[in-house]
Amino acid sequence: MTQSPAITVNQVAVAYDSKPVVSDVSLAFPAKQITALIGASGSGKSTLLRCLNRMNDGVATVSGEITFHGVNINAPQVNVYRVRQQIGMVFQQPTPFPLSIYENVIYGLRLRGVKDRSLLDQRVEESLKQAALWEEVKDLLKASAQALSGGQQQRLCIARTLATRPEIILLDEPTSALDPLSTNQIEATLSQLKKDYTIIIVTHNMQQASRISDWTAYFEQGKLVEFNQTAQLFINPKEERTANYLSGKFG
Amino acid sequence: MKKIELQNRLATILILSLAALAALIAGGLVGYLLASGLPHVSWQFLTGSTKSFASGGGIFDQLFNSFYLVVLTLLVAVPLALLAAIYLSEYAKQGPVTTGLRLAIEVLSSLPSIVIGLFGYLIFVLQWRLDFSLLAGAMALTILNLPLLTRACEDALRQVPQLQRQAGLGLGMPKWRVTTKLVLPAALPGIITGAVLSAGRIFGEAAALIYTAGQSTIAVDYANWNPFAPTSFLNPLRPAETLAVHIWKVNTEGLVPDAAAVSSGAAAVLIITILIFNLAARGLGKLLARWLSR
Repeated sequence: MTQSPAITVNQVAVAYDSKPVVSDVSLAFPAKQITALIGASGSGKSTLLRCLNRMNDGVATVSGEITFHGVNINAPQVNVYRVRQQIGMVFQQPTPFPLSIYENVIYGLRLRGVKDRSLLDQRVEESLKQAALWEEVKDLLKASAQALSGGQQQRLCIARTLATRPEIILLDEPTSALDPLSTNQIEATLSQLKKDYTIIIVTHNMQQASRISDWTAYFEQGKLVEFNQTAQLFINPKEERTANYLSGKFG
Repeated sequence: MKKIELQNRLATILILSLAALAALIAGGLVGYLLASGLPHVSWQFLTGSTKSFASGGGIFDQLFNSFYLVVLTLLVAVPLALLAAIYLSEYAKQGPVTTGLRLAIEVLSSLPSIVIGLFGYLIFVLQWRLDFSLLAGAMALTILNLPLLTRACEDALRQVPQLQRQAGLGLGMPKWRVTTKLVLPAALPGIITGAVLSAGRIFGEAAALIYTAGQSTIAVDYANWNPFAPTSFLNPLRPAETLAVHIWKVNTEGLVPDAAAVSSGAAAVLIITILIFNLAARGLGKLLARWLSR
């Protein structure tokens, strides 16, 4: 690993009503890289992802340490709203709010009370450019976000997450509801974004993981089986279970 | 014909004929009420006031009282139902408290309205010294409508996709803001529909009002807009006979020679108004949904 990690999980375990779904996972996510979490349904990869910005609060019990800038953000006294502004999330399906494209992008900023028009305008343009959507929507910023196509909506959601300038972006199967063309665009966008952001993506699509990620973590039944550079993990997996999953013998 | 096809055909015929029977009963009832009532409805009937002994009395006061009671009741009931629904849909965790609350709401919805009326009489009219008044009536009707209204609001809230909430939380919104800024606006069409349907129920209710809003109407001044003045038409503490109560009263103890005509005319007006409420509920809900999802 060349850089210090952006976020580290140490002995994290998650249980829904005392039913364990993730157990004893320790993992350091490299900064400004794309890390893919792969595994079969129910392997705990999405649950682990949701721990990283406290989205399991009130849903599941999360134990262990999650360190971000030297702070254990899994501690109860941590301000979860600030955590979520610094560690943003994009979901399985596009989730535009029933507002204009412009208002969608700055939603998080408005929430923080930003009123400066020029700053908002600037953030909208920057964020949409980073999400590779600017050229398509620059003339219809006042139009409803719900008129966009699914792929555009998902890039809008990425832009909305970017607008609050997070350090880490979590994506939970962001292309599972999209067609191949839109998927390609999202993947290209993510590859651009890793220059400035740490990206952690859960995907069911192994090709997607191998195409875009630098690092891959393979999960099975709530446990981390193997974590390595993507090229290594896909070509020369150390664990037999990883090899079986990659070759389709499991799942 | 194969046996399974025969069964299928028989079942279809049975279902269709039962549905037709239900429609026939409902349609026949409404048709009968309109046919026997509409000939007695005239402008004078709608705008005139009740007569005690002579024929030719109108229903203006009762009609106004019914509408005003709808407004008052919704003013009390909608906020209560909405808060209960928000709790049940957004905050309540599965457990004995939630189960108990749901059970209580269901039991409340099957209480006979006359029981609610007598309860209102004991508590609001006597205990709280509200006397026979619109306010006492509105509170009795709030109890009557709370279960269905809460259910309607809860259904509307639950139909908002879970991912919208997640998206809001993921941006760092506190839960109450997710609820008020994202969930509530999206659920508004359903909530409005529920409220308007409730309005129809309030309009048609009689039993719960006989002992709460009262069976008499005092002479009110429709030019006095001060709701605190005793004779103002807006005073919520005055007794007020509604249209449905009027129908009941004319039929049971009416002294006017044209009691039958007044009763059937009033019934026709009542049913048309409720029909309008129901159509408005659909129209308004659709319109709002379209407007909000622009």
